[in-house]
Amino acid sequence: MKTDVLVIGGGPAGIASAISASKTGAKTTIVEREYRLGGILNQCIHNGFGLHYFGVELTGPEYAQRFIKMLEDCENVTIKCNSSVTDISQDNNGEYNVQVTSPNGFEIIKAKSIILSMGCRERPAGAINLVGDRCAGIFSAGCAQSIVNLQGKMIGKRIVILGSGDIGLIMARRLTCEGAKVLGVYEIMDHCGGLARNVTQCLLDFDIPLHLSTTVTKVLGKKRVRGVTVAPVEMGKPIYEKEELIKCDTLLLSVGLIPETELLDKFNLEPLPVTSSFAVDEYLQTSKDGIFVAGNVLHVNDLVDNVSHEGERAGHYAGLFAQGKLTRQNAIEIKHDEHIRYTSPKYIYPGGEGEVPISFRVDKEYRKVSILVKSGNEIIARKPAPVVTAGELQILNVEKSKVKSDLNIVIESMIKE
Amino acid sequence: MSTADTQEQEYEVAIIGGGIMGTALFSELVRAGINCVLLEASDDVSNGSTKGNSGIIHSGYDPMPNSLMAKFNVAGNKMYKAMCKRLSVGYKSCGTLVVAREEEKEKLNLLMERGKTNGVPSLKIITDPLLHQMEPNLIDEIKYGLYAPTAGIVSPYLVCVALAEEGVINGGIVLKEFLVDKAEKNSEYYTIYGNSGKENEKKVNAKYIVNCAGAGADKVNTIFGLPSTPCIYVKGVYILLDKSQNNFVHRPIFPLPTALGKGVLAIPTIHGNVMFGPTAHECEPFDTSVDVESLNEIKAKIATAVKQPNFRKTIKLFAGVRNKCGNDFVIKKAEQIEHYFYTLGIQSPGLTSAPAIAQYLCQELIKDGIKTKKIKLKVRKPYPDLTEMDAKSLKKVIKENPDYGKIICRCEGVSLGEIKDVLNSPLKPRTVDAVKRRIRTTMGRCQGSFCLPKIIKIISTVCDIPKEEVSLCGEGSEFIVGDIKQNGYFEKIKETKKMVKQVRKN
Repeated sequence: MKTDVLVIGGGPAGIASAISASKTGAKTTIVEREYRLGGILNQCIHNGFGLHYFGVELTGPEYAQRFIKMLEDCENVTIKCNSSVTDISQDNNGEYNVQVTSPNGFEIIKAKSIILSMGCRERPAGAINLVGDRCAGIFSAGCAQSIVNLQGKMIGKRIVILGSGDIGLIMARRLTCEGAKVLGVYEIMDHCGGLARNVTQCLLDFDIPLHLSTTVTKVLGKKRVRGVTVAPVEMGKPIYEKEELIKCDTLLLSVGLIPETELLDKFNLEPLPVTSSFAVDEYLQTSKDGIFVAGNVLHVNDLVDNVSHEGERAGHYAGLFAQGKLTRQNAIEIKHDEHIRYTSPKYIYPGGEGEVPISFRVDKEYRKVSILVKSGNEIIARKPAPVVTAGELQILNVEKSKVKSDLNIVIESMIKE
Repeated sequence: MSTADTQEQEYEVAIIGGGIMGTALFSELVRAGINCVLLEASDDVSNGSTKGNSGIIHSGYDPMPNSLMAKFNVAGNKMYKAMCKRLSVGYKSCGTLVVAREEEKEKLNLLMERGKTNGVPSLKIITDPLLHQMEPNLIDEIKYGLYAPTAGIVSPYLVCVALAEEGVINGGIVLKEFLVDKAEKNSEYYTIYGNSGKENEKKVNAKYIVNCAGAGADKVNTIFGLPSTPCIYVKGVYILLDKSQNNFVHRPIFPLPTALGKGVLAIPTIHGNVMFGPTAHECEPFDTSVDVESLNEIKAKIATAVKQPNFRKTIKLFAGVRNKCGNDFVIKKAEQIEHYFYTLGIQSPGLTSAPAIAQYLCQELIKDGIKTKKIKLKVRKPYPDLTEMDAKSLKKVIKENPDYGKIICRCEGVSLGEIKDVLNSPLKPRTVDAVKRRIRTTMGRCQGSFCLPKIIKIISTVCDIPKEEVSLCGEGSEFIVGDIKQNGYFEKIKETKKMVKQVRKN
């Protein structure tokens, strides 16, 4: 089978990509491994989705459904569910040959451009050096969410949550509502990993304690978890003298997401080590022509609305590329100061029309600051911010016409010394 | 396979313990036409020392000359490749490398001499530039390597499972969840009990007993009335890295061995991961917990041989416990009671030695009067592995059975069809870990966070057991505690919000 654009992954990034790719007139195929589109949204039955995009609060499945409907109304789109991509290679004509396995068979789809929208996986216990026993009752938060929300089954009665990522916070509330006792959320950092609104709505409202600068030091239990020990953390090290035992039957891990980029390993794309993903230009194109990225596989987003916007951009440019309407120009690298951990995109093409949204994260909390975008000696964009936190993705729109031969993003204190 | 119709049966031999030692013997005896039963305490074979293992088939330079270890290691090594071929499990002839610095050259020579005395063929000391070409990640200070080309790597649990399966398809019986806790001798037969005195009491009768219970072997000896042997238990912790690191080393890299053991190694696994370990610290018999000190020790010790591994790619920490009785294997016929053989202290190189020890024990049993019989060997079929198939074969198998096209474990590329095959395989595995040891589901980089819910569902459906009874590794390790409430989630959130508002107002 042949297609112009192949979208890998049918979650929010993939669906939005496919819609906008098809709108450029490109023949588009979207491949999803589950039996339906929607991705992780299908298990996010809480609401809070869509305020930015649709102006209403939706549940995850409702948000997904709106996009699925839009996709189904598109022309030139083939949807392949139950289909897993097992390999990607490039042939001599520069076309991508994508191996797809499904119950219908094994096939190679030839595509002129591909969009990576495979999302993330959760960081497992081994990756955070969680020691002690390896027994049943240790779940990653998303895994627990899948069992509870998609299978309708409970996973435990007395629950400790390690890590304060958003999924962990959402699950704290979900499990409490199902009658479990969530004994506390333990976060090794001195700040919460999730959104402030989730701390209020999921923890504070339900009297679930959040312990910052505290971590789980050991898991106990031969067959099923029977307890964990926790200890305060100073200078990144647990204080073992202050270790205490908490009796519980379940440990949930919400300790970070890792982009699922492994399918691309052999292409040696320019990496972006901070995000464990790839460096992209303003078209969301990687260092290799025709490979575009969107959504959490590019960098972990806070809001699905942003993911959809990102998908739309990637899809648009991938569609143009497939039709020979997109060429690389001379890019400049977006520079930033040491308070900013990375920017996505990393490269921008100066001049031209329109705006480019630049996403970035800061390294810690700043109060009463201004985020400045400079080009040449001019400030071309400015965003005053009473508070910026490490947990929240920042997005600034930059007018392309104002970008000269360099671009620099800095954080400045609003309080003059 | 069911316990109900077999437990009253009488056997020539009962083997206690389904680790590599027990299953190697089981296969050996079944192939010799001997009517035997294997009693395993846990939900599956390969659940003790055998699973927490380096997976190396040692060449045999390390054991002291004339020891049982030296004899069985070298003999076992010679048998392994053919055995793996017979069982259709992977064996990789990668050799091993003991590395040394300039000042350690003499010790390396002595080790090579010891190997030659033990009868290890083709040992060779390798120097630069070849040494660093073979293993670019060796640190610069390493100048010499003792290369043992006859060594290899295997999946220790897959070999163990395959041996047990071979025994079962050729008429042997495996009884799982049979923790021996009582034994009686009535004239000709021993009666062996599991859960004795309880409602679910199990028993079997056998003329001969072979104790292969690994870390539980001394306990089993005492159940049969033998005195306890002074043993210690030694824990080995490992750090396992993602497959993306698979070229870090091309063969197991050893430091020079010391009196404490073979040291901390860098080990490629046959599946393409790389791991570091083991440590060696005394512990309680079944304590496989991992501790921070061991992780630090591994990282410090491995740095004396290889460049810094990317430990950010760690996906799993694990530990195994081996039983140690002095400095050699103990393989004996009991003097105090008749028809009873036991093995103790089957530590490294136990995995390598097992087929040779099994052959030896089989001959001892025959000498003692057990009759053999020629059988027509049924060959064990391997589990299908879709990741090894070419496009044509894939198309064919998916057409025949669409379940092979439904990928469940994305990290290791395992399909629904393969999981179903495993659940219907000779030992009838029923737990998530038992399936994992056979086809690697939940063993990849996500460690099951995506596929665990699906695997629970598949085991429940295929085996017709409630999800609440699906477990990680047998009774007591279930994942699910019951149903959720049918409704009320959103109401509860709203209600709480209202209440909180009220409280905050007041």
